[in-house]
Amino acid sequence: MVRDITFGQYYAGKSLLHRMDPRMKLILTFGMIVAIFICHNFYSLALMALFAAAAVVFSGVPAKMILKSIKPVMVILAFTAILNIFYTKGGETYFEWWKISVTEKGVNTALFTVIRIIVLVVISSLLTYTTTPTMLTDAIERLLSPLKIFHVKVHTLAMMMTLALRFIPTLIEEIERIMNAQKARGADLESGGLIHRAKALVPIFIPLMVSSFRRAYELAFAMTCRCYTGGNGRTRMKQMKLHARDFITLFVCLAVVAGIIVLNHFFTRII
Amino acid sequence: MTYPIELRNVSYYYSPGTPLQVAALKNINLKIGEGELAGIIGHTGSGKSTLISHFNGLLRPVEGSVIIDGEDLAKDKETLRAARFKVGLCFQYPEAQLFEETVARDIAFGPKNMKLSDEEINERVKKAAEFVGLKPELLEKSPFDLSGGEKRRAAIAGVMAMEPKVLVLDEPAAGLDPGGKNEILSMISEYKKRTGCTVVLVSHSMEDIASVADRVIVMNAGTIAMDGTVDEVFSHSAELRSMGLNVPEITRIFIRLRELGYDVPADVYSVEKGAQILREMIRRRSV
Repeated sequence: MVRDITFGQYYAGKSLLHRMDPRMKLILTFGMIVAIFICHNFYSLALMALFAAAAVVFSGVPAKMILKSIKPVMVILAFTAILNIFYTKGGETYFEWWKISVTEKGVNTALFTVIRIIVLVVISSLLTYTTTPTMLTDAIERLLSPLKIFHVKVHTLAMMMTLALRFIPTLIEEIERIMNAQKARGADLESGGLIHRAKALVPIFIPLMVSSFRRAYELAFAMTCRCYTGGNGRTRMKQMKLHARDFITLFVCLAVVAGIIVLNHFFTRII
Repeated sequence: MTYPIELRNVSYYYSPGTPLQVAALKNINLKIGEGELAGIIGHTGSGKSTLISHFNGLLRPVEGSVIIDGEDLAKDKETLRAARFKVGLCFQYPEAQLFEETVARDIAFGPKNMKLSDEEINERVKKAAEFVGLKPELLEKSPFDLSGGEKRRAAIAGVMAMEPKVLVLDEPAAGLDPGGKNEILSMISEYKKRTGCTVVLVSHSMEDIASVADRVIVMNAGTIAMDGTVDEVFSHSAELRSMGLNVPEITRIFIRLRELGYDVPADVYSVEKGAQILREMIRRRSV
């Protein structure tokens, strides 16, 4: 039930991708996602897909886990495929009936978009599979630190994100506990119309709010007790350092992008 | 003969069919009779809470059957729903379930779900509040304005107001100071005496169980390790210790005194009784 929601789907490992500097990983992931959208024919997209596949192999994350991350977007995939097949017209007509027709261009576009979304999901899920939420927020904090010049409280934002992620499992547990307690008092959460169901959630959410506020106060208090005063003058236990592997990966990514641009130039546009 | 609670060969696993499968209950057979005050005791993770969650069908057994008041919970949805009201389950830290605007309305939540008449509900709210010792003027306050101990009482009253045949309390005294703890415990024995209901008390504290229960069920690693009267169970002090439990401290003192050759009883479970016996011994010696 609620427990099955996996969040921060980190897959522990010691692969090249795991050991990379999270800052570089974050930047490259963003860069490669942009690169996916630069591709405009099957050849450049194939290169991109190849890159994603290679990244999966280097990450050591089992293919099964990767497939699991594609599962939630299946509906979107089906939806875009259907829309593209029927609404994009051009080229040879394969099939025609009443107002519906399937054309070469439609099939190509549908296939192209589906592959593009899959590659997108694979690359972005690799980031979360190989980086712990804490590392990720740390990296975000570092990358955004130039904004400090404009008095943006980067550290505070990053701390808030870390805490939010940390408390998700705690809150899920809390919801389960409260739900059980109210069910034991005969609360009926499963039947009835929409309004009835919405009303049935009141006994769950009010105690949840109350306990969340209590937790927040307690946490703030505990942090104050340990002399937490925000980011100023705070040093780190784990220093982030760029290694040769980070630059090699950067180079590989740049090569892939260059390849995409070349392939885009030599073959006809599909999308 | 029907029992208020009967479990036949009940097993329960968490995450069944995955590598993470954990057996929380293993082949449990248990009968709790009418009007009993049974204590369930066990170390953390021994399956106490999983066990009581079966009593009202919050958890369904993976194997075996749960029979409440002669009816198998697996029969249909109505039986299951009826069981929720027959077995009143009060979880650990029940104050976390308070949500209404006033204490009275919160206590009324259970009875309202039973679709009782308004007068009946009012009657029950008053009765339950009196039982747990909540002053009438507190009933119109917000439950969030009460003190910790009062919140606990209000939450317990919310379960009592359903007038279940079996009242199950999971660590009702957890986190209370000694005074509050004794009050809650004596309230429970008082409740049992006045209503004649079956009461199941879950605790990891031997002292608490010994002070109120007639029967002690010891859980260990998902099985029932011992089941008997307080005296019977506490006489196996070595076995209890191997399960991470222990007989009350005062009992340990008396067992040690016996080992040292003093003529004292071994079934001393409360400090008051122990003190009384020791005072008498000292007086006799000085005579």
